Amino acid sequence: MFELLIFFLPASVLIIGALIVVFAKNPVHNAMGLVMTLISLAIIYITLNATFVAMVQMLVYAGAVMTLFLFVIMMIGVDKKEQTSDSIKGQTFLVSGVFLILMSLLGYVAVNSEFSWNLWFPAVDYVVEGTPQLIAGTLFTTWIFPFEIISILLIVATAAAIALAYDSKIRNKDA
Amino acid sequence: MDFLFILPIFLPLLTAIFLFLNRKIFNELVTNFFTLNSALLSFAISFFAFVTFALDKFKPISITLYQWTRTPDITIGFTLDGLSGVMLLLVTGLSFVIQLFSTSYMEKDEKHSNYFVYFNFFVFSMLLLVMSSNFLVMFFGWELVGLSSYLLISFWSQKPAAAKAGNKAFVINRIGDFGFLIGLMIILNTFNTFDFHTVMQSSTNVSENTITTISLFLLLGAFGKSAQFPLFSWLPDAMEGPTPASALIHAATMVTAGVFMLVRISPMLQHSATASIVIISFGLLTALIAAFSAMNQYDIKKVLAYSTISQLGFMFIAIGAGAYVAAIFHLVTHAFFKALLFLGAGAVIHSMHHEQDMRKMGGLRKRMPITAGMMGIGTLAISGIPPLAGFWSKDEILASVFAKAGMANELVFSIMYYLFWALTLGAALLTAFYMGRHWLLIFEKDNGIDHSEVQEAPKAMTRPLILLGIFSIFIGFINTPFFHGLEKVLHETLENVEVTHLPEGIALVILAVLSIGAGFTGLIIAFLIFGFQLHKRINLGKFKLESPINLVKDLSSNVLYLNKFGNVFFVSGMKNFSRKVAVVVDGLIIDGSVNFISSAFGKTSKITSATQTGLVRNYVVYFGLFLILLISLFIFTPLVAQ
Amino acid sequence: MLEVTTDWYLTLAAILFSIGFFGMMIRKNALIMFMCIELMLNAVNLTFIAASKHFGQIDGQIAVFFVLVVAAAEVVVGLAIIVSIFRKQSSASVDVLNVSRG
Repeated sequence: MFELLIFFLPASVLIIGALIVVFAKNPVHNAMGLVMTLISLAIIYITLNATFVAMVQMLVYAGAVMTLFLFVIMMIGVDKKEQTSDSIKGQTFLVSGVFLILMSLLGYVAVNSEFSWNLWFPAVDYVVEGTPQLIAGTLFTTWIFPFEIISILLIVATAAAIALAYDSKIRNKDA
Repeated sequence: MDFLFILPIFLPLLTAIFLFLNRKIFNELVTNFFTLNSALLSFAISFFAFVTFALDKFKPISITLYQWTRTPDITIGFTLDGLSGVMLLLVTGLSFVIQLFSTSYMEKDEKHSNYFVYFNFFVFSMLLLVMSSNFLVMFFGWELVGLSSYLLISFWSQKPAAAKAGNKAFVINRIGDFGFLIGLMIILNTFNTFDFHTVMQSSTNVSENTITTISLFLLLGAFGKSAQFPLFSWLPDAMEGPTPASALIHAATMVTAGVFMLVRISPMLQHSATASIVIISFGLLTALIAAFSAMNQYDIKKVLAYSTISQLGFMFIAIGAGAYVAAIFHLVTHAFFKALLFLGAGAVIHSMHHEQDMRKMGGLRKRMPITAGMMGIGTLAISGIPPLAGFWSKDEILASVFAKAGMANELVFSIMYYLFWALTLGAALLTAFYMGRHWLLIFEKDNGIDHSEVQEAPKAMTRPLILLGIFSIFIGFINTPFFHGLEKVLHETLENVEVTHLPEGIALVILAVLSIGAGFTGLIIAFLIFGFQLHKRINLGKFKLESPINLVKDLSSNVLYLNKFGNVFFVSGMKNFSRKVAVVVDGLIIDGSVNFISSAFGKTSKITSATQTGLVRNYVVYFGLFLILLISLFIFTPLVAQ
Repeated sequence: MLEVTTDWYLTLAAILFSIGFFGMMIRKNALIMFMCIELMLNAVNLTFIAASKHFGQIDGQIAVFFVLVVAAAEVVVGLAIIVSIFRKQSSASVDVLNVSRG
């Protein structure tokens, strides 16, 4: 019973948060919905024995990334209303069509017990704890090459962000 | 020292480049100085090289400057053997003499230095042609002489006629060169080399059909370059160029390239009976048509042009009869007396202030005694009067054809060759007639026009004339029935070639008498009509000869209407045909298909580009569509348990 | 008694992904679209973690780290682009941007 509770409680919060992200009108509310989603996801990670990932999720996503989002929202302004009517011709029709088909496919997969993982890939009977030692030990040995590449990507992205956001008018004024 | 003969080839090229670079700086005097000295040096080296070569018992020398590829064996190489040696001397020697004449003739011309640039370039090209040791270099020379000939024909390009004549020569030569090129391709394909020596050596191993095919294609090239029927109409038009250039290019050297080439390939040519028959018949046809056409021309140079075509026809007859030495012999003698005649005509034109119509001349003998005398020698030489040069060579050709008839193993061929001999004799008679008419019309016949202002040409012109006159008299002695000089020189070149020899003894004497008789008859008829004015002194009215004579005159001045025939049948027909091709094939099929393809691409791209809206949310929808596709694939593909 | 199997987590991830994808399609504000992308990325992360537990291997969690870093980089660049677009047209709507129209 406790097991079900510990799954359904964060899951429902997660879905509500996600829906807030999609449907809220005020960008700050959207951001708060995203925070809700991310935190409840972190809780689910803990129930899945991935404690270190959960911590990182809290710190990096719910902390740093969301701060960045909020910062940009503040910069652009919160009171910019989106147009209510869809400006692209036929977009509503296409969206509803695609979404309905996608949902029906996913529903079919979810309901049909043929696609259960336990049927195809039997679950192991031991538990792996996602401790920092284990993660670091694997990351810095087996995954060292992707790790280095991903660090280069991060540096490039930082440089690109600076170059993009730097206002050339200001620079010219300075010069 | 053996390879000294390379120098005269490239000296004219260097001179041409040097003069071209300095054409703005040098005045006429400096240009003349350089070009004459270079020509003289070139001749001197050639002479020295030839003497060395002669002392070495005429052993051929070959040099390879550059090996392009090994298989097929393509090289840039030159050779000095009897044939190319004779041509080397001829080209450099005449080049010097004619340039000496040109310095005076081209005096105060706007493009004086350009003339000498082209001239030297021509000499280089011609030497490239004759000295080559393989077909490839020969082809380079072949094309380059065509180019320099074009440049010199349309030298006064401000005259529309000159520009047009240059184009005509170029286009007609293209027809010949096309055949030549195809011949070269077949040679490369068959023998895997371009080298003359190797090709000739291995030509015995090749079937006669291949040899005939190669020979006929090369023959087309020779016909174009040497102005043989049916590709001869460019040469009379080429007379628009400066007269000295005509003397060198369109009389003495370039037009004989075809003859030279055929003699060069004679070891191969002798294996093909078909090619020989074609050569002799076309040569004879040309000799007759051109001689006939020369009879009623009034342009001083056109007569000589038709005469050149006719004499080239004689050379082709000699080749067809297997008398390769006679062909080269006639080439050499003809080069001298035809150059003499052209230069003489040039002197007359110069003194008459660029008047070329013979009807406006007449009676110039007293005004221009040296020119008249020298041209008289030329006329006698070409008519075949002994002991001048033309007699020996023409007689040799006639005798060879006669001998060939005797050698033929079937009666039909024998009769055919006797017929050829008779017709050749007729052509020789016509030659004497029109040349006599030419000289008489210029120098003798009184037209009642006052020529008291006309003066003898300057010394720079008369000296070359005298020089050439002397040669025209004596050059014939290099190869007489008593002294086979040229035959010895060409011995190595024509090794393994079955040369038709002259008949012996009394037959030769009779043939010689007949040939002399033909020459004299022609000259006497010419004198009776144009000198003695026979038709005015006796009443011919009762014979009603007026209309046949007019018909002959009309046919002669219109070259048997061959040009008009060609225009109607080939040019117009081709034009109509190509117009139809342009509309149907090009317009409908090719353009249609290309347009269809392009419009099809345009339409489909318009349709597909409609999906590229540039809007992010549209792309998200596409993403969704592919997501659906992916999941559907996953669901509906049967899964396999691990 | 119902047992919480891996399938449940996967279904949850699918729902999360679908919501994010739906948001991508209907929202015009570039910022919100970015948030939707974050939702979709997190859905994928969830499947990784679930699979990691299912197979008893740590590599799934390592993959989550990489996804996290890529997401961070993408957010940094994407937000910078949004800011510079906003400077030009003072709107974060993506519907007016169609310069790459075919």
